Amino acid sequence: MKFNLFICILLFSSFSFSTYQYETVLDELDDAWSFVFLSEDSILYTEMPGALKVASLDNKSIVEIKNIPEVQYVSQGGLSEVILDPNFIENNKIYLSYSAKNSNNKSTLFLMSAELIGNELKNNTVIFEANAPRRTAVHLGAKIAFMQDGTLLLASGDGFDHREKAQKLDNHFGKIIRINTDGSIPSDNPFISVKGALDDIYSYGHRNMQGLVVLSSGEIYEHEHGPRGGDEINLIKPSLNYGWPAITYGIDYSGAVISPFTEKKGMEQPLLYWTPSIAPSDMIFYEKDIYPELTNNFLVTALVSKDVKKITFEDGKYEQESLFADLNTRLRNIQASPGGVIYLLTDGPGGKLIKVIPKDL
Amino acid sequence: MNIVKYPFAVFSAALFTVMLITPISSISNLLWLSSVDMPVGLGSSLEVLLFDFQRLGIALYGVIILGFTIAFTVSGLIAKYTRLGSKYLYPLAGAFAIGLTMFLMVELMFQSELLGGNRTLIGKILHWLAGFVGGYFYYLLVSVERNLTFIIRFLGILYSYFILGSVLDWIFNPSNAATGFGFVLSELSNDGQNALIRDFTSFFLATFLFSLLGAITLNPTWFFSVAIIFFGAAIFNLSAIYIHGTGYNTIYIVELLLGIWPLILGLSIYYNKGKR
Repeated sequence: MKFNLFICILLFSSFSFSTYQYETVLDELDDAWSFVFLSEDSILYTEMPGALKVASLDNKSIVEIKNIPEVQYVSQGGLSEVILDPNFIENNKIYLSYSAKNSNNKSTLFLMSAELIGNELKNNTVIFEANAPRRTAVHLGAKIAFMQDGTLLLASGDGFDHREKAQKLDNHFGKIIRINTDGSIPSDNPFISVKGALDDIYSYGHRNMQGLVVLSSGEIYEHEHGPRGGDEINLIKPSLNYGWPAITYGIDYSGAVISPFTEKKGMEQPLLYWTPSIAPSDMIFYEKDIYPELTNNFLVTALVSKDVKKITFEDGKYEQESLFADLNTRLRNIQASPGGVIYLLTDGPGGKLIKVIPKDL
Repeated sequence: MNIVKYPFAVFSAALFTVMLITPISSISNLLWLSSVDMPVGLGSSLEVLLFDFQRLGIALYGVIILGFTIAFTVSGLIAKYTRLGSKYLYPLAGAFAIGLTMFLMVELMFQSELLGGNRTLIGKILHWLAGFVGGYFYYLLVSVERNLTFIIRFLGILYSYFILGSVLDWIFNPSNAATGFGFVLSELSNDGQNALIRDFTSFFLATFLFSLLGAITLNPTWFFSVAIIFFGAAIFNLSAIYIHGTGYNTIYIVELLLGIWPLILGLSIYYNKGKR
């Protein structure tokens, strides 16, 4: 009897150690794309149709913010990323990326700064408009991150039909952009003295970037969708060419070869790539210790594999592990609260914000 | 033979058109790669063309069959009840079918151009032209009575064409080929990877060559050999499922179909030897 009890306890213990529990904090979100914590129990989040909302995670109340820019909500476009200024507490500044029509009635990517005062945005200023006009809003990228020096990075996708332009420096297709928070161009940008190149380009040869993280060490990690196969994580450095579409580990959706080459001198190799594609959708570097097994790991949400990849890089090698696959849902975004609790945002209409409950709570 | 003449002509014309259309995307892609100093040579060009003929070609084949079936049926009826000659109607219908197909592919696919070769005006014109020539090929097929030898050869080559993709995948891109069979190659041991690559490549290369030789020589033994290999694959697939408990999969249905096809071709040759 004692032995059976011991076995039961052992089994239960191992079960509780091998799985996470979840709590749906918000639901019925309308195509939510990104979120950021205002405090431990309050988030600011975007919905692709063009809504910016503040939600209380305690009482579930939701307040819609007024004076949002007009966005083009079609296909993969809409109101995308929101991030806070590092000095948000003092200046109330936030940054939004979105797709909208330009003056020639073509779709492109915009970056706007604004002040969040009460329930309204004020002093809205478009600080960047991508020179990447396309017929419709696809492959925008739209991820934003702050570098350690206070400059902004923005991922501008290849526009699908314009993939070859990712190899040219006279446009913003398939580029990572670096600008100051007022839209001006940092004087130490890598292509500032290169004739014919746009001054705000930081790196090029990208496809559809959906993850952009700057570590406290200053290292920049990015991930991007490949076509059929060839999703990548890259270590971003200024002026480097990441190869798309001249080198790739994927093939086209039609089955056609995009390039028979996977490497070339002068073009960077990914730290890792996924074939078949997992469709990575967001990424954080988890530095807290609420979940000790996740500390100092990259966490990458995925739409196709419907899980979170826990990834570590060391000495040119990597290890990865699948987490939260039991949710069995397309995951769009991941954030850690100021206290370190992980929240997952599910994809599409009727989306949910899911709290991953730490084991000791 | 008249019963099968028209569908056979649609299938043949669609395949012929695919052969014309596919290189448009391949060549435009290769030209661009060359323009950015990628080391495009004979080997890499051949690799791109062969892969595109197989993978892109098969994807297009089904779409073009549908487009041609509608276009040629309508133009056939018009030709029957008017004085307009089918010699001109079918090529125009072919060009229209390809143009409309390319247009719908863009409108239905996020308004994005899936075919790289169709992004420029010259690419579009070449696609329409391919449809025009495909339509004329259809006219030639339906206006002349074809014998059984021609049909067997055509179906044998078509069969080889389908198998060719697996051969190329296992030679050049085994990790992608492995994905199609439900496993991740890199997760296997080195010995496991080696065994799978050599065995799968040999399997598909042998069936590809056997079916091609059958189409060329019209010796039924080649087709029977292919049929035996695929029937064997289907039988041992089922034994793996029900005896060794590997879990149910539906690949055995494809294997049965890939066995029945050459079996019918072999039997047709065998029983019609005296008539040809």
